[in-house]
Amino acid sequence: MTVTVSPIYLFDVQRGEAAAAELWDAITERQLADWEAEWLPELFSAVQRLHRAGVERRLWPQSRQWDWRRKVKVLQGLLAYPGFSIVCGGVTQGMMIVDTTKKRCRIDTQNGQHLVYVEFVENAPWNRPELVDPPRYRGVGSILIRAAIALSQEEEFKGRIGLHSLPQANGFYANTCGMTDLGVDPEYEGLRYFEMTPEQAEAFITKGNQP
Amino acid sequence: MKIEMTKEWCLRMAQREADAEIGAGLFALDPVFDGETSPVTEAGEEPHIAFGRFVHLMRRRRGLTLEKLAEDTDVEIAELVEIEDDSRHKPKLRTVYQLANYFQVPQTKLQQVAGLTVPRDSRLLEEAVRFAARSESVTSLTSEESAALEAFVAVLSEQK
Repeated sequence: MTVTVSPIYLFDVQRGEAAAAELWDAITERQLADWEAEWLPELFSAVQRLHRAGVERRLWPQSRQWDWRRKVKVLQGLLAYPGFSIVCGGVTQGMMIVDTTKKRCRIDTQNGQHLVYVEFVENAPWNRPELVDPPRYRGVGSILIRAAIALSQEEEFKGRIGLHSLPQANGFYANTCGMTDLGVDPEYEGLRYFEMTPEQAEAFITKGNQP
Repeated sequence: MKIEMTKEWCLRMAQREADAEIGAGLFALDPVFDGETSPVTEAGEEPHIAFGRFVHLMRRRRGLTLEKLAEDTDVEIAELVEIEDDSRHKPKLRTVYQLANYFQVPQTKLQQVAGLTVPRDSRLLEEAVRFAARSESVTSLTSEESAALEAFVAVLSEQK
């Protein structure tokens, strides 16, 4: 597998400064090993802490059942499902798998157009405020969404992307990303569906260029 | 695919993102496609039987119901039932990890016993077969079952 690495930066919360990082246009064995050796133990400890603190099960991280090795095995064997990952400090900080062929736009003005659909995106447990206070790095979500937009542009989908947000992430996709909230999708476990038009994609990129 | 992002863009967006959660995707299920090949390396039937027996006996030794074990390990009860009752069931890696942690045995060896990886240690395979043969699913642990379980845990916990 050929992997292209793009230099990026995350924000190191504890140091209060930029941290040089890498955006990979793949999820490789290295990321899966990080998931097994680094993410899972951290996630397990975090869930134990929530359990012992009496936090209701419905408030535990919703992605805790995800098995990235299984996802990658099933989806990434297919060319239509490329993956992206972010590496910082020698460890994987976030992963995303997208679909470039099956889904179509639902927004009226874009109806039926091709888009990049984000199948799965997840932050490393130590970057998640509901699990760790304070989180280690900020910026993983924005960079992965930017990568999905870039792929959409390269596929000539003009930056259109779509996804089903986990309930606790609705605010990020509505506000920070400026995507259109198309409401609860009963076909997808009641998750809300969000979509980004070409104009919203441009606005998202521009947002980061403005002081 | 090279993607250009300036340092300033990354940092501004990191500040805007702040401590937002970003997860997306169906949360209950991992994808399954028609004709999906098993994500795990096929291994023999015997270690798989041993895995179900191991979970069953460890649970009973601690006097736990399936519901309590499911709650304590954050594993779906349906999967625990399948593990204990269906020797062909392939557990999720996360499930084996949770159970190994809970029962305090090395996860790599338990993965081998569960059939998720090919046993590198032929003795572990032999011990798993022996354990499966010596243990039965009855209401309370017999002294023979206790002895079999103790011996198997000792093998799992051996440091090489």
